[in-house]
Amino acid sequence: MAQQYLMEQVEVILGWGFFIPLILMVVLILLAVRIWVVIGIGSFAMLLLTDVLPPTLLGEALFDGIDSFALIAVPLFILTGDILVRTGLSGKLLDVAEATMGARRSGLGTSTVLGCGFFACISGSDAADAAAIGRITIDRLEAKGYPKPYACALVAAGACTGILIPPSISYIIIGLVLGISASTLFLAAAIPGVLILLSIMVANAVVNRVQGYENSRAGFNLQYWLKTVYEGRFALLIPFIILGGIYSGIFTPTESAAVAALSAIIIGFFQRTLKIKDIPKILETSAKVSGVIVPIIAMSLPLAQTLASLQVPQAFVGFMTSMTSNPYLIIIIMIAILMIAGCVMETTPNIVILAPLLLPLAQEIGMNEIHFCIFMVTALGIGFITPPLGLNLFVVSGVTQVPIISISRYVFPFVFTMLIIALMIGYIPAISLWLIE
Amino acid sequence: MTIQNVLHNIDENGERWLLLPLYALIVMTIFMEVFRRFALSYSSIWAEEIARYAFIYVSWIGASAAIKERAHIRIDVILPFVGERTRAVIMILGDLVTIVLAVLAFWWSLETVLVSLKFGSVTHGLRISLAWFLAAVPLGFAMMLCRLIQSIIRDVSDLRAGRPIYQGKKLFD
Repeated sequence: MAQQYLMEQVEVILGWGFFIPLILMVVLILLAVRIWVVIGIGSFAMLLLTDVLPPTLLGEALFDGIDSFALIAVPLFILTGDILVRTGLSGKLLDVAEATMGARRSGLGTSTVLGCGFFACISGSDAADAAAIGRITIDRLEAKGYPKPYACALVAAGACTGILIPPSISYIIIGLVLGISASTLFLAAAIPGVLILLSIMVANAVVNRVQGYENSRAGFNLQYWLKTVYEGRFALLIPFIILGGIYSGIFTPTESAAVAALSAIIIGFFQRTLKIKDIPKILETSAKVSGVIVPIIAMSLPLAQTLASLQVPQAFVGFMTSMTSNPYLIIIIMIAILMIAGCVMETTPNIVILAPLLLPLAQEIGMNEIHFCIFMVTALGIGFITPPLGLNLFVVSGVTQVPIISISRYVFPFVFTMLIIALMIGYIPAISLWLIE
Repeated sequence: MTIQNVLHNIDENGERWLLLPLYALIVMTIFMEVFRRFALSYSSIWAEEIARYAFIYVSWIGASAAIKERAHIRIDVILPFVGERTRAVIMILGDLVTIVLAVLAFWWSLETVLVSLKFGSVTHGLRISLAWFLAAVPLGFAMMLCRLIQSIIRDVSDLRAGRPIYQGKKLFD
């Protein structure tokens, strides 16, 4: 594959047909125009000015581009997370996390991160994760001695696992764009996702050791742990259905999400924590999520196609390799691009536009497609907590009313550790590929 | 029920009335399909199709709901730094740009429906006219256009009266 790209390294000249729409898009983005509209206008202008593909392509993409069974999993995983929050089952998951890790010196902090990880096994969205866990834990963390902005930063960091630990909306979308099955990506992402989770726990433990925020010494109590696990058995059943179903090959991701959502509803009725009249409200929220995410995908796909016809990815590879051919350096440059992109823009458009652009560069240095997907999503994940525009910071700040500036001060240890893990994932293919081989 | 009441009701709940049954249909169809595969070792060719097409309807109607509630994702780097009036102007400008794209998208997607009707294409599973499902896109954009015009009228009158403009709802609050 790498050979092929080397051979066709022709000089690509990008004219005004490329740059005028690009400038237009930057201006519209700065003017706070809706992202999907900016991308749509950009692709239309590019199609019109360059003539590489017929503009009617756009009309077809709005239907064909999103006509995918895998994509239905996106709102369904958010629906499942929502039902867990409404029924109080997410609180049960946190109880289990606390009974497991609460005895450590940094017990509540570590448990909070583990709780984010549990919730990530159900919901595929980091914003939903941050809102769900943040609402319950931040006040408790503060009561234990953590400064409130630090507690916010911790939850924001832990919630990044929402898209890094399967199931994940981002892996579904990158799979759709590059034509890789979401199940394969979910399997490959398991080890990297858990590594990120562990690294955040370690970062918190180190910060806590230095600053002495929390000093829990309860001692692990097996009887209490068993009791909590038993009480949380229904909550634990949901991730078991989702991950067990996908990994054993019984369900596709979409099917597992539908089964998990209905199971959670049935458990809610059974335990009387959910009423019939709550259902419409819950369904409506996640239905609207598709209304927000799908237009971005529908508009980005024709843009990616246009860029490909203009040979922009090849031009990009040529430009980068003319500067350096050192694979280690190229991986660092890719992380920098993805982190910057991740902190100024939503993950969905980043994936749809940047994945086809960066994949040839990754293949040029010998990265496998699946390895690239894991690397890319992890690097974008760091962007969620990178100030000033990290999305998780906004969500946590919205839940707690703590200003983003104060949260930002505390977030750097987590950005740093996640960055180290992202570099490891980039340099060591085995982390991503070991499970699928 | 006067005409005005009916119109007001549609304005308040139009998207919701369409979204709820369609979305429930997706969940139930997929669930039934899984159940049948286990219990009866039988799977249909049309269930997946229903779910997929219902999802396209949900997405484009949901996009209209998101316009109504100003929930679409945008990068607000400059909004916190400008005054109330400038913000209103930026919002109105953004809605105008959206209208341009929505009109184009409505036109193109309507064309795909008409072409499909002309050639009589049918779906693989249900063998019914594809036009029924292609129509999801122009329907969604028509609804979006109505919401955009409403939004502009509201913002312009707020701007004139010196009121702060509608901030919209956030998805994960």
